[in-house]
Amino acid sequence: MKKRTILTIGLAALLTAGFGSAQAGHSSKLKAAYEKELAHAKALVEKAASVEGEWRDIRWKKSKKKFLPSAIAAAKAGDYKKAMKLLKIVEFQAEMGYKQAMAQKNAGPQNYGF
Amino acid sequence: MKIKNLRITTAGAVLLAAGLVLAAQASASQSALAKGKKLAFDRKKGNCLACHQIEGGTQAGNIGPPLMNMKQRFPNKAKLRAQIWDARKRNPHTIMPPFGPHRILSDKEIDLVTDFIYNL
Amino acid sequence: MKKIATLLLSAGLVAMSAQAVPSPQEDLKHFRDYFQRKFPGLKLDELRNGINALDENHRMQWEAMEEFPPYEEFVDKGKALWEKPFKNGKSFADCFGKDPSKVRVKYPQWDAKKKRVVTLELAINECRKANGEKPFKWKKGPIAWVSAYLGYMARGQKIHVVIPNDPDALKAYEHGKHFFYAKRGQLNLSCADCHVKYAGRRIRGNLLSPALGHVTHFPVFRGKWANKSKDGDGLGTLHRRYGGCNKQQRARPFKAQSKVYRDLEFFHQYMSNGMTINAPSYRE
Repeated sequence: MKKRTILTIGLAALLTAGFGSAQAGHSSKLKAAYEKELAHAKALVEKAASVEGEWRDIRWKKSKKKFLPSAIAAAKAGDYKKAMKLLKIVEFQAEMGYKQAMAQKNAGPQNYGF
Repeated sequence: MKIKNLRITTAGAVLLAAGLVLAAQASASQSALAKGKKLAFDRKKGNCLACHQIEGGTQAGNIGPPLMNMKQRFPNKAKLRAQIWDARKRNPHTIMPPFGPHRILSDKEIDLVTDFIYNL
Repeated sequence: MKKIATLLLSAGLVAMSAQAVPSPQEDLKHFRDYFQRKFPGLKLDELRNGINALDENHRMQWEAMEEFPPYEEFVDKGKALWEKPFKNGKSFADCFGKDPSKVRVKYPQWDAKKKRVVTLELAINECRKANGEKPFKWKKGPIAWVSAYLGYMARGQKIHVVIPNDPDALKAYEHGKHFFYAKRGQLNLSCADCHVKYAGRRIRGNLLSPALGHVTHFPVFRGKWANKSKDGDGLGTLHRRYGGCNKQQRARPFKAQSKVYRDLEFFHQYMSNGMTINAPSYRE
C-alpha cells in the first residue's frame, strides 16, 4: 500500500516536472519568436519614420491604439499570441507608410493642377 | 380522404417552411444593410458622410458626389466595390482614402459597406 | 557625332530639370493665381479671413465673436510677459528690439549661420534661454500669449517672408513645400488635398479653410481649444495646429518646432506673402 502511494506520487511528480519543462520550453520558444518579431517591427517603424512616413497609431503617445507599446505590454503580461498579432499590424502599417512616402517622393503642386 | 388530407397538410407545411426561410433571409439582409449603414456613417470607420451626402445621414460633406441611384451608376456591383476598396485605380490623385490597401476597413466591412451603398 | 548628340541631350536634360523646380517666386504666383481662379468674386486679401470670407453664417458668428474678443485677456498676458524683465534685468526687447510692432513681420526667417528656419516661437524661447530663463512650453499658454501679442501689435502689416537665394534655404523651402503636397497617414491625405483642392467645401460638418492666408491669424484662438482648457484659453500656435492636422490624416504628428514643421512653416508663411496680418483671430 505504502509503496504504491509513493510510486504514484513519484510518478505524478515526474510527470508534472516533465510537463512543466515542456511548457517552459514552449514559452521560451514563443518568447524568442516574439523578440525576433519585435526587432523586425521596430526596424520597419524606424525606416518609415526616416522618410517622414510613420502613421499615427504605431507608437505616438496620444494614440488610443498604440500598437507597438500595446504589443510590448501584452508580451510582458505573458500573452505572446496577442503580442505577435499586434506586431503584425505594426509591421503592416510601417511598411505601408514607407511605401506611401516613396510613392509621394515627387508630390508637388503639379498633382493639383498648377 | 385521409391520404388527400395528409397531402394538403404536407403541402401547407412545405409552403410554411419556405415562407419562413424567405422571411429569415430577408431579415438577414436587412440586418446586413443596417450593419453596412452603421459602418458607412461611423466617423472612425467608413465615414462616407465626411464627403458624400447619403439619405438618412446628417452633417454630410460635399467633397464627393451624393450617393444615390447607385445601381444606375454602378450596374456592376464589383466595380462599386473596387471603387470603395481603392479609388486611386480610377484617379491617382483622389482624396478618397484607400480603404482596402490601407486596411482602414476589413474585407468583410467593405462587403457590408458596398451592399449598403449599392442599395442607395 | 554621337558624343555631341549625348552632350546636347544631357545639356537639354539639365535645362529641363532646372526648369522642373520653379523658384519660390513662381510658386507664389501660381498659388495666388489658383485661389484667384477658385474664388473669383473675392479680393485676394479677403482670404485671410478663411472660411469667414466664404460663408455668410460663419462670417456673422465670427464678427459677433470679434466684438468682444475672447483672446483679449491672453493678449494682455502676452504684453505683460513682453514687458516683464528677466531675472538678469534684461527683457525680450533686448533680443527683439524695443518696438513690439516690428517683430512679427520678421519671422519666420532664415538663419544662414546655423542653416535653419527660425520661427517667432523658436526665437522667443531662445531669447529666454540666452537670458537664463526657462523656455516656455511650445504649443499653448505663455508662448502663444507672447506670440499673439506680437501678432496683435503687427495687425495691418503684410506677411513678408524672405527666402534668400541660398541653396540651404531653398532646400528647407522645398522640404516644406513637399511636406505640404505629399499624401501621408493611413487616410492618405495631404495638406493640399483639404486646404487647396477642396478649400471651401464641407468635410462632414466643417468648412475647409483655404491655405492662402492661413498664417495671417496665427496664433489662433479656437473655440474648440477654449472649450478644452480650464480657463477658456483657446490660443494655440501654428505648430499646435499642424499636429492636429497630421493626427486627422492618421499620420504621426511631429514635435512642435521640429525641423519638419519649421520648414513647413517657411513654405506655408511664404505662400501668404503680401497678405495682411490679423492675429490673433477667432476660429471654430
